[in-house]
Amino acid sequence: MDTRRRILVMALCVALPASAVDTVKVGVVEGLSGPPAITDFGESYLQGLKLALKDYAEHGGKPKIELIVYDDEANPQRAVSLVQRLIQSDNVSIVLGTVSSGNVMAFAPILQRAGVPLIAGPSIATNITTDFINQKPSFIFRCSMVEKFQIEAMLDWGVKNFKKLGLIHSTTGYGSFAAKSIAEGLKQRGSGLAAVEAAAPGVNDLTPQMLKMRDAGVDLVLDFHESFELVFRPMAALDYHPVVAGNWGLSSLKVEQVVGDKALEGTVMGQALDLAAPAAKAFDARMRKEYGKDYRWPVVAALGYDAGQIVAAAVSKAQSADPKALRDAIENVDGIKAITATPAHPFSPGDHECLKQKDVFLGVWKNGQVVRLEPKR
Amino acid sequence: MSWANFLQLLVSGLAMGAIYTLTAKGLFIAHLATNRLNFAQGDFLMIAALLTLALRGAGLPVVVVIPLVVALLGLGGWLLERGFIRPLDRLGFRGGGEYSWILTTAGAGLIVQNVAELAWGKSGQYSPPLFSGTNEPVRFLGVGVYPEQLAVIAVSFAVVAAFYYFLFRTHWGKSIYAVAFNPDAALLLGIDVRRMVILVFALASMLAAVSGVLAGPIVSVYPQMGLVFTVKGLAVAAVGGFSNPVAILVGGVLFGLAESFSNYFNSQFGDLLPLLGVLALLIVRPAGLVGARKATGR
Repeated sequence: MDTRRRILVMALCVALPASAVDTVKVGVVEGLSGPPAITDFGESYLQGLKLALKDYAEHGGKPKIELIVYDDEANPQRAVSLVQRLIQSDNVSIVLGTVSSGNVMAFAPILQRAGVPLIAGPSIATNITTDFINQKPSFIFRCSMVEKFQIEAMLDWGVKNFKKLGLIHSTTGYGSFAAKSIAEGLKQRGSGLAAVEAAAPGVNDLTPQMLKMRDAGVDLVLDFHESFELVFRPMAALDYHPVVAGNWGLSSLKVEQVVGDKALEGTVMGQALDLAAPAAKAFDARMRKEYGKDYRWPVVAALGYDAGQIVAAAVSKAQSADPKALRDAIENVDGIKAITATPAHPFSPGDHECLKQKDVFLGVWKNGQVVRLEPKR
Repeated sequence: MSWANFLQLLVSGLAMGAIYTLTAKGLFIAHLATNRLNFAQGDFLMIAALLTLALRGAGLPVVVVIPLVVALLGLGGWLLERGFIRPLDRLGFRGGGEYSWILTTAGAGLIVQNVAELAWGKSGQYSPPLFSGTNEPVRFLGVGVYPEQLAVIAVSFAVVAAFYYFLFRTHWGKSIYAVAFNPDAALLLGIDVRRMVILVFALASMLAAVSGVLAGPIVSVYPQMGLVFTVKGLAVAAVGGFSNPVAILVGGVLFGLAESFSNYFNSQFGDLLPLLGVLALLIVRPAGLVGARKATGR
């Protein structure tokens, strides 16, 4: 090839529009097996995400998005190796996931170093994005509940409306971290916990822990154990019926099926989806039609859907498979019509969370549905 | 601690202990005749609980469902021995390793788990009460007790009595002990060793069925639940010294009570302390509560 032709070819390559990219690969690592709470979270988030990408494809979205999904089995080592595989072998441009915050904290630094954007979800540990926000640019985003936000909302309400607060948490990293945040939050409010009880993750019976709650006169039990249904089981036998408030997991339709509407009535949890809102209602009906009995968690699926919308909008805007271009596109994405409280322009250089403190509210089970908890007048 | 609290902990500890006893009993009977442990015992319990749910969901009455599930699991036990353990044992003679049963039974457990996930999904399931329409407990002395808790306690005691009679008073029971003592000698005495081995695996699975049916309404039912029961069943059987039904009942009751009371006094380590207790006991008495000299329990 003579020099002139070589220059021409090079010039053509440079001048080729970015839209020449046909497909953008998006990697997903989710907890899709293991304890029920993990799989309920992981599958629900993925259901929403897939629906959003299906909508993108049906509307003729270009470039195409190819989803590569792996199951991390809630195992941090596996999650890390899957993310490495996504970056090195699958050459994905964006990664989404996963349920366990510990797993996200394990692989987020790898993605930050590799310069591949991560949209974390449905993990909720407070510091997932804030740990990276000062690294300019940060590649770590999140579309999920934020633990601190739901705990703050719950403690404000709990301290005002109840005499004695008790806490049951799991002995996992998640449960211990939540316990620490709750103890600190109550201290800041000049209050404290009347009883604190723990339980191992695989435990089957919380009778001893609930006895302690009853003896301490606790009228609000904060439930931060991954097996959300366990606190309800001994209540009838102990003739002890405190109000239960806890992790957003308590809004799962699976918890409703296992515990029953009657026992669940009045249970409060962190929320970011108001099913009374028309868009949320329409989404809920669509998900029920799409997934039938496999649909079990409106708020988690809705956040997955919103994450999918953000990915689609960023890919469409960037018209490129370059991770750095996609990172910029994600940060600047605008005009999202979110199902959850996620704003139309969710991110900025100083904030990589879909949800803000003001977007998180308390939901309550009422007549078989989670509705917004109205403050007492 | 008040009397009411003490009794409440006693009931919940006894109920959980009874489930562990039934699981341990299944491990014991298979170990007795074959020197093998069924690592899928907890998974058999799980599948029995899910089958009960499914059959009741299909509209079958409890009186039909219970014998049906027990029979199906008995068949499962036969399949485990005939289809998995024995063929690999044969390979063992050709250098396959005499511990192939560990992999075989654990693998069978994984298969059962995966089948359950495919059939019922990975989520937890609601298991309605067996004996009443509502999930209301019976109250006495200030204590609330679910009928299923009483049933599982009663059944575990009844099963111990039945096992004791079966093993030490019937021809089949004596045959099992003969096989356990020396399979070759038992064969020479005209005992059908193969049939005995199948019998014990079927019996073990039927015990898992009984515990699964009864445990369903008082624990969380999901495909991964089996491992915890296998581990705790092993701990209980070790406390009983894998020796006789009564020692295993004592081990199960002690373990269940230890779990219940230790969670009351220190919930942070409530589940760990009973397991540490078992380890400490085994250091002092490696043959379990009943020493080697009393291994037959007579």
